[in-house]
Amino acid sequence: MSRNKLISLAEAVERHSWDGMQYASGASLPVGSDTIVFGRELVRRQRRDLHALFHCNTQQLNLLAAAGAVSKAECGFSGLEVFGFANGLRRAVETGQLALEDYSNLSFGLRLLAGALNWPFAPSTVNIGSDIQWRSAFAPDETPARHKIPTVTDPFSGREVGALSPLKPDVAAIHVSLADPLGNAIMLGTEWSRFELSRAAKKVVLIADAIVDTACMRQFPNLVRIPDIIVEAVVYWPFAAWPQSSPGFYDVDEAHMKAMNKALATPEGTEAYIGRYVDGYTDLDGYLDMIGRDTIEQLSRTGTAFLLDPFRQWIKTPEEVRALASGDAR
Amino acid sequence: MSTDLAQAADADLPYTRQEMMAIATGRELHDGDLAIFGVGLSMLAGYFAQACHAPNIRTMTEGGVYGATPVGGLPWGIECNRISSNATSFTNALDALGFLVASGRCDVGIIGAAQVDKFGNVNTTGIWDGDGIIGDSYRLPKTRLTGAGGANDIACGAGRVIIMVTHEAKRFADKVSYISSPGYLDGGDARARHGFIGGGPSAIVTTLGIMRPDPETKEFFLDAWYPFSSVEEIRASTGWDLKVSPDAHVVPEPTAKELAALRRVDETGMLRKK
Repeated sequence: MSRNKLISLAEAVERHSWDGMQYASGASLPVGSDTIVFGRELVRRQRRDLHALFHCNTQQLNLLAAAGAVSKAECGFSGLEVFGFANGLRRAVETGQLALEDYSNLSFGLRLLAGALNWPFAPSTVNIGSDIQWRSAFAPDETPARHKIPTVTDPFSGREVGALSPLKPDVAAIHVSLADPLGNAIMLGTEWSRFELSRAAKKVVLIADAIVDTACMRQFPNLVRIPDIIVEAVVYWPFAAWPQSSPGFYDVDEAHMKAMNKALATPEGTEAYIGRYVDGYTDLDGYLDMIGRDTIEQLSRTGTAFLLDPFRQWIKTPEEVRALASGDAR
Repeated sequence: MSTDLAQAADADLPYTRQEMMAIATGRELHDGDLAIFGVGLSMLAGYFAQACHAPNIRTMTEGGVYGATPVGGLPWGIECNRISSNATSFTNALDALGFLVASGRCDVGIIGAAQVDKFGNVNTTGIWDGDGIIGDSYRLPKTRLTGAGGANDIACGAGRVIIMVTHEAKRFADKVSYISSPGYLDGGDARARHGFIGGGPSAIVTTLGIMRPDPETKEFFLDAWYPFSSVEEIRASTGWDLKVSPDAHVVPEPTAKELAALRRVDETGMLRKK
């Protein structure tokens, strides 16, 4: 039965994370949406030995890797786009602290699709013939790798293709623009692979920039790509993707993207960053103060703001959300 | 030419080497192409072509962002709000890289490279120390790079691929240490072994000139240089014994129309930084 699933971020991380879990973030590449606040909370709680499944690296994986929380990671892309190399992840890989298994952006999505459909594997016409197929960081002595993307024969044409292993993460924290308290969600901008991930993961926690009334979902059911029946919990957290962006809500914080990546390049910088930006708040108000109210106002003046217009009438105020969260969700 | 001399010479140019590279890349795109652009400079080159000579080019990014043009300067990523404020459709990765690229529908893609070899194979994954050969056991890279992203998928599936890369000897290797995105692998008809639907790289466009693959061997040769570069400079900046086409020629300078179009797209001047 549908129920109010709104819980606090702290509670979501307490209930839905553990050392050694396979953890996926539902994001849209390194500059767009991501559940970075969930990652900050994982660091604060000193979760360890995570196996990170990130379609693309984001500042969340960059931070988790820099903090030493991740021992294995699988990615399709592991940089920060125009912001350059991800220094925290890079340092963890170069020192051998973290084993990073490489795929591509299509093959990673296909692996989520295979997991969602409970397929034994997904056939792949990409990644074959390149070192993505032949080299495995998880099995370094096995060259060419035989168990990463094994070659299989198409039973119809006889052509050799690759077999991609399915992904079924233990927990996916998925960033969405709008969610209702039941867990129906709308994503603005590219959804990247959040649709497939929401079906592949064993548990789905939504982190939403805004909470709307369910009437909003009934008005735009075609846009609700994540329905409540597959969602475990909903967390309300504005600027959840900061310093990355969220179409309709806020632009990327260029200065913090650069400062954060610079800090994560060294253990000392990472420690200082965690002191200030992970341990530097205890609640949502404190978090928004930490970003800075002026910065928030500036980032909110996004050229994508009009994307939110059709939904504004259903967006709940922070007070309304607080009242909902303290109700039957407990 | 030493770097100092090159910079002194560049000071007299009405455009930068990066702008020449972007314009030369854009000239490879045709009106009507279904085109996919990677992040960064390749986006500028692609949207320059649309703004200049290919108004009917159908553009997309691997996030499934359709019908959009950058607003406010170079997008920080292919999903940046700068490319999300005037899109006509947002879909997803499987749609863009799968349904439209792996299917064979996409005519052309532009990708970047940290390292490229004589068969157009691209490395964006890592740099290994010593001779750069990883060996039989997967060693840790000396320098970890960004990984393949969507470039592997574009390299396998797009009808033709243009590789855009800064021309430095360390980036132009006889053999890349890691093939992140396949060019012609070990040359000849090697791509056929894997049945790739895409045709492979049609050009490597650099800050010094343009290379194209030999139709038989698939080894890249020098096809053209720029008004400010020379065959000698290019050969000296290439890590293999670069063959020069008997028809090699100088690339026409950017026209006023081209420069104006490029600078409209490159609003924040990413390509004008020297």
